[in-house]
Amino acid sequence: MNKESPILEATKRDRLGSRYARRSREQGQLPGVIYGHKIDPVAISLNEIDTLKHIALGEKVFQIKLGDAKPETVLLKELQFGYLGDNIIHADFARVDLTERVHTRVHLNFVGEAKGLKRAGSVFIKSMTEVELDVQVSNIVDHIDVDITDLDVGESLHASDVQLPVSTMKLMTDPDSIIAQITTVAEEEPDEASTAEAAAAPEVLTERKGDDEDKD
Amino acid sequence: MPPYKIPKRVKYRKEFRRVRDRKATRGNYVAFGDYGLQSIEGCWLPSNVIEAGRIAAQRVLKREGKIFIRVFPDKPVSKKPIETRMGKGKADVDYWAARVRPGTMLFELSGVTEDAARLAFSRVAMKMPVRCRFVGRRVEV
Repeated sequence: MNKESPILEATKRDRLGSRYARRSREQGQLPGVIYGHKIDPVAISLNEIDTLKHIALGEKVFQIKLGDAKPETVLLKELQFGYLGDNIIHADFARVDLTERVHTRVHLNFVGEAKGLKRAGSVFIKSMTEVELDVQVSNIVDHIDVDITDLDVGESLHASDVQLPVSTMKLMTDPDSIIAQITTVAEEEPDEASTAEAAAAPEVLTERKGDDEDKD
Repeated sequence: MPPYKIPKRVKYRKEFRRVRDRKATRGNYVAFGDYGLQSIEGCWLPSNVIEAGRIAAQRVLKREGKIFIRVFPDKPVSKKPIETRMGKGKADVDYWAARVRPGTMLFELSGVTEDAARLAFSRVAMKMPVRCRFVGRRVEV
């Protein structure tokens, strides 16, 4: 957890809409919006390289300096992606106080070499890569380490097994939900039953009886 | 016939061709595994090609890792027999295909190293009728 949240310089966007947003992206800017605390939302434009660098490092809380105004503490709320699903095209920020409690998702980092993975054919499956927490803004962490050293084949880790770094954090994800497990990959040999099933034509729900006879 | 995947039940036996070259807005990111093979073009991906890709990945990985197939062939594609005159109604279903749009994630892998995943997906990409790219998990908020 970083004690000091990064400061991002922003400018207010006067002209809104997809056309002007695209033009600002072409100039190395990242369009965004700040909202919350019952104050009118403000459309902003950020430096793309600086912002994406911090986001890639897992930062969630930022200080946004809009012109000459005092920096505002904001929480990264949502990202919009381009059509290939990985290029960030817009960021949403919510105004927060450092003492406020918020719901946020924190990435899980699985550490250690599980003893079950030493067996041939075993595979580690991450069912969940993040958990939802109720946390004070000043205590938001980039990630939580989960130790998997003792995990054997057929065993699983649940959300309740995650060691929260701060005692005031509350787990909002269902504690019984599986976050990771080690299973054995069975060799896939198609049995005759499944072959016969796959070869057959699918059942047609709206087909009238006698349609086949009517056909030519 | 090899065990290609097809739907168990459908509402109608045949369907229209429909528009296909629109960008993917769903299923366009790595959701289950660690690495993915993403299509950057659109196509109708036949069920036998999906199976060929799965086998290609499995042969590289041996028994390591878990493969997730993110597309399902639920579109019946009909084709008239050769040397047949036009007309006389819509032809019988020839094969089943998955609708793939630019950006659709085709396969995902978990439980393997990045090098192994890259090698496996390079073999899978050779089987695909579209240009593909290797992707990892995207930034999550």
